[in-house]
Amino acid sequence: MIGGLFIYNHKGEVLISRVYRDDIGRNAVDAFRVNVIHARQQVRSPVTNIARTSFFHIKRSNIWLAAVTKQNVNAAMVFEFLYKMCDVMTAYFGKISEENIKNNFVLIYELLDEILDFGYPQNSETGALKTFITQQGIKGQVRTKEEQSQITSQVTGQIGWRREGIKYRRNELFLDVLESVNLLMSPQGQVLSAHVSGRVVMKSYLSGMPECKFGMNDKIVIDKQGKGGTTDDSGKSELGGSGKQSIAIDDCTFHQCVRLSKFDSERSISFIPPDGEYELMRYRTTKDIILPFRVIPLVREVGRTKLEVKVVIKSNFKPSLLAQKIEVRIPTPLNTSGVQVICMKGKAKYKASENAIVWKIKRMAGMKESQISAEIELLPTNDKKKWARPPISMNFEVPFAPSGLKVRYLKVFESKLNYSDHDVIKWVRYIGRSGIYETRC
Amino acid sequence: MPYFGSEEMVKELKRALSNPNVQADRLRYKNYITKVIRYMTQGLDVSALFMDMVKASATVDIVQKKLVYLYMCTYASDKPDLALLAINTLRKDCADPNPMVRGLALRNMCNFRMPGMTEYIEQPIVAGLRDKASYVRRVAVLGCAKMHSLQPNTEIDGTIVNELYALLRDPDPVVVVNCLCALEEILKDEGGVVINKPIAHHLLNRMKDLDSWAQSEVLTFLLRYHPRGDDELFDILSLLDAFLQSAHAHVAVATLRLFLHLASAHPAVQADALLRTSAPLLATCGAASRELRFAGLCHVQQVMRSQPGLFGMHYKRFFCGYSEPSYIKFRKMEILVELVNDENVALVLEELRSYCTDVSPELAQAAIAAIGRIARTYSEKCLDILTGLLALKQDHITSAVIQTFRDLVWFCPQSTAAVCQTVEACVDSPQDSEGKQALLWLLGEHGDQISSAPYVMEGYIDGLKTELSSAVKMELLTASVKMFLCRPAETQDMLGRLLHYCIAEEESDVCVRDRALLYYRLLQRGVEETRKVVTGPKSDPSMSVLTGRQEEPIRQWASTFNTLSPLAGRDLCPQTAVVSAADQPSSSAEKELLPESTDVTLSSPDDTEEEISLSLGPPLSHETFEKMWLDLEVLHRQTLGFPRPRTAPDTLQAALQLVKIQTLAFTPGDTVPWKAYIYTRSTGTLILAELLQAPGSDESLVVSVKQQPVNQHAIRVFVSILKSVLQTPNADSS
Repeated sequence: MIGGLFIYNHKGEVLISRVYRDDIGRNAVDAFRVNVIHARQQVRSPVTNIARTSFFHIKRSNIWLAAVTKQNVNAAMVFEFLYKMCDVMTAYFGKISEENIKNNFVLIYELLDEILDFGYPQNSETGALKTFITQQGIKGQVRTKEEQSQITSQVTGQIGWRREGIKYRRNELFLDVLESVNLLMSPQGQVLSAHVSGRVVMKSYLSGMPECKFGMNDKIVIDKQGKGGTTDDSGKSELGGSGKQSIAIDDCTFHQCVRLSKFDSERSISFIPPDGEYELMRYRTTKDIILPFRVIPLVREVGRTKLEVKVVIKSNFKPSLLAQKIEVRIPTPLNTSGVQVICMKGKAKYKASENAIVWKIKRMAGMKESQISAEIELLPTNDKKKWARPPISMNFEVPFAPSGLKVRYLKVFESKLNYSDHDVIKWVRYIGRSGIYETRC
Repeated sequence: MPYFGSEEMVKELKRALSNPNVQADRLRYKNYITKVIRYMTQGLDVSALFMDMVKASATVDIVQKKLVYLYMCTYASDKPDLALLAINTLRKDCADPNPMVRGLALRNMCNFRMPGMTEYIEQPIVAGLRDKASYVRRVAVLGCAKMHSLQPNTEIDGTIVNELYALLRDPDPVVVVNCLCALEEILKDEGGVVINKPIAHHLLNRMKDLDSWAQSEVLTFLLRYHPRGDDELFDILSLLDAFLQSAHAHVAVATLRLFLHLASAHPAVQADALLRTSAPLLATCGAASRELRFAGLCHVQQVMRSQPGLFGMHYKRFFCGYSEPSYIKFRKMEILVELVNDENVALVLEELRSYCTDVSPELAQAAIAAIGRIARTYSEKCLDILTGLLALKQDHITSAVIQTFRDLVWFCPQSTAAVCQTVEACVDSPQDSEGKQALLWLLGEHGDQISSAPYVMEGYIDGLKTELSSAVKMELLTASVKMFLCRPAETQDMLGRLLHYCIAEEESDVCVRDRALLYYRLLQRGVEETRKVVTGPKSDPSMSVLTGRQEEPIRQWASTFNTLSPLAGRDLCPQTAVVSAADQPSSSAEKELLPESTDVTLSSPDDTEEEISLSLGPPLSHETFEKMWLDLEVLHRQTLGFPRPRTAPDTLQAALQLVKIQTLAFTPGDTVPWKAYIYTRSTGTLILAELLQAPGSDESLVVSVKQQPVNQHAIRVFVSILKSVLQTPNADSS
């Protein structure tokens, strides 16, 4: 159980403090500030133990969120709880920043009141919370009298994540496949480790209690169908475009609403969706990842005071697709005195404060190549320390899923209300972003 | 922060809050209330406004109510008499038709921390327990716990407890979990809530309806339940199976813990559960948020204590990213060291080498130490890397490498020659005191193999005046004396100077002076006498081939799994480990685990005359074993007449454990000579044994036995049991 929750700004000023149990005193707030936020050295661990009290903290931009407890609690749970807190707050007022927290602080107190009671988590689903918290801060949600009265009827205990009697004029659903591709590559171009962690996020605006079935090009399913002889030809030709028919998913986890027993036995994903936005599944793949970009670095030390850096990036996807928000970050030594950069495309700048050359390209089509060359002048130092050569990192956004995942279908069945699968308007979108995408040089 | 001028601020607020004009304008009024809460958050004492705030609670605006309640909960204990004024409003709210208002009022009334509150809240709580809105019931249930914590020493109200037990069957899942928590707190002195069969089964059936937090709580409570028989046990396990792969790491880990606990008598089930959870655990280790990643890594470390092989093939997942915080990098390096095997050693070392030049000196030193740990098994490759690092000529790296050398020489004596060569070739010396001590120790201990040693040491003796650390001085004294014993001609003069400086000249540190006097007087007694005292036992080269640590039984760590302790490191709760080790022999699970062990001892031929059986007893640490092995004489040596069993190490270990012989360590794979160290206990004696397969023509196993105290009969029994066990797998394979 959690004894108290505190939110600080980067200076260590308390923005929110809520104590749930009386074993946590007011001095706990100061103890964390003095021992962790104002500590000289780096943070040693996300869990700090001060005088038999444990402080779990996470940081969002420059905001510290700390949960305090005196019990021997389940650490993973406390951390996940803190993230959930952040999610809820984001759903209510957007980004977590000092400004937003100060402006919404009444709302946050209200939320804290509902989410935890006596240190025990009570209700953390944004959808259900909306029924209780009557702030104007809720994004785009108009409350009705009807909903008010539902508080009593809502909790039937059967399906905690969906209210009954939801109605929409247009039945719509939005499916986002969001992936972040992580790479660590050696200077010789050998992949040291690569994985994609992806999420399928769904926004559903469906009436009643619909039953949904979700299908993707999971290798196990496709193989099974192939064996069974009932090959879904239309599905296959659709997939043919990427050149990869099915993908091997290393591990995946689902939203509470998915019937796990059915997934285990038939590997089919069926569920009654929550209303609004939620994360349907999370998965990881490590095999056959499409790496959208190759970074080829070339660093040459010319004497003691000069470095020549040449970096080539190659885009490795269909020419018809466009990658966006490309940013390459080339680290420079600490004793850099001046940098000259020449690049064929985009803009490059040396940022002394970050010790890096930042090269930005707005858009880049597939199967193209671009290069940057830089001459870095160094101040002569008597420091014998060799420069550690941090890796070149990269950010980008591409309109496909680097894991190769494709959505094959999403069927909606609602027997009681008269709308069918065809009446639902469905949108699917793929976004691949860079996670930690590093090439050593 | 407005700490100054706070009194004025409070006065101003008071004036504003009592101004009828402000009170009439709801928005302005609320703004002032918000201001009060803001100051309260910042640590300002606004308790003087209590009266005005109580008045503000009489409103229809729920948000304003909430704010005022928050204020009142904070200051109620300071102003108990004024807080009583608010109770009437609250009690009225408890009867409001809107369930939200009812719940809110009840919750806040229970939050008031002041004596004498019980009499006011008891009736609304009891009413709340029977409310038709689940929201109010949730609040009321926890209210019971709050009421109890207000007066912890009063007698437990039986009716409330019964009511709570009945509410465990409530249709609302949150009410159920709240009931469990409340009962746990109320009945703390009596050992907490009782989970009997109907309750356990009810909870298990409700698991699916619960949210992840509740699932986690329930899984923890279920640890208390002991199923009656295997049938029930397996029913429970198959019910919980799906949760092993839950989307939430904490649920998956909590399920694993329950599995390990319930299946403590079925090692195969435990192993299977670990295998199935390895994927979610690995996913947590790669989670987007670093804190979860950290928690995942800590749990992986725990699992690896019993199943080091489980994550072997996933070693690449534990490579550090450049931008990861250092606490994650440290953990990952610790894991990498454990995961090293013949196939991945090259890649892992390559990776660790790249961390050695990290910007943070602490991280670099940890990486070097990690390479040193691997060097105990793969000394050659690691020594190359470490030697290469010396060439970088950076102080912190040199120092760390020298310290690693010192540890390596101690653990792995066959690398001494190579290390000495490197140390000799190393030109620059470490600058920090830790590094200096390590270098001096090496020079003193192995001065005979480092030809330049006396000259290096002379440099230190000459620079003694500028040396600040007394630890270095003491090490220098010891090293010089040791050096004097093996190379007297070159050392005599400088040792004299050193002793003179430390004893007669300006040495302010008493410890250093004492140490110098000790050596001086020792030397007066003669060189042989000194040798006896100064040259302690060196590490035994025969122990050097030992690799890998013993796989710990799962129960060793299962009790602290999924709590705070794995994250907090070893220092937080060392007692738990000791306790669990101590109560091992008596644990009932042990007996169930080894029902056939008696049969085995009986079937051995020598055992007919007198009953002597082996037992496991508390485990020996490597250090104790090593010490005893060096101290004792070989009592019995026998050639067994057959080669070693060609089975996997863990099969052999399991087989030995079945007849209650504990394996301490053995050489991996097909290394020659193959060795294993084992021990066991028998009617008051401790038997230590070494199995050795020397590279020879017949390749037969030789067993050497040491014992304390001596009991020849026990040795005979032991050898015969050992023989039959070792032959069994051989027979199977052929």
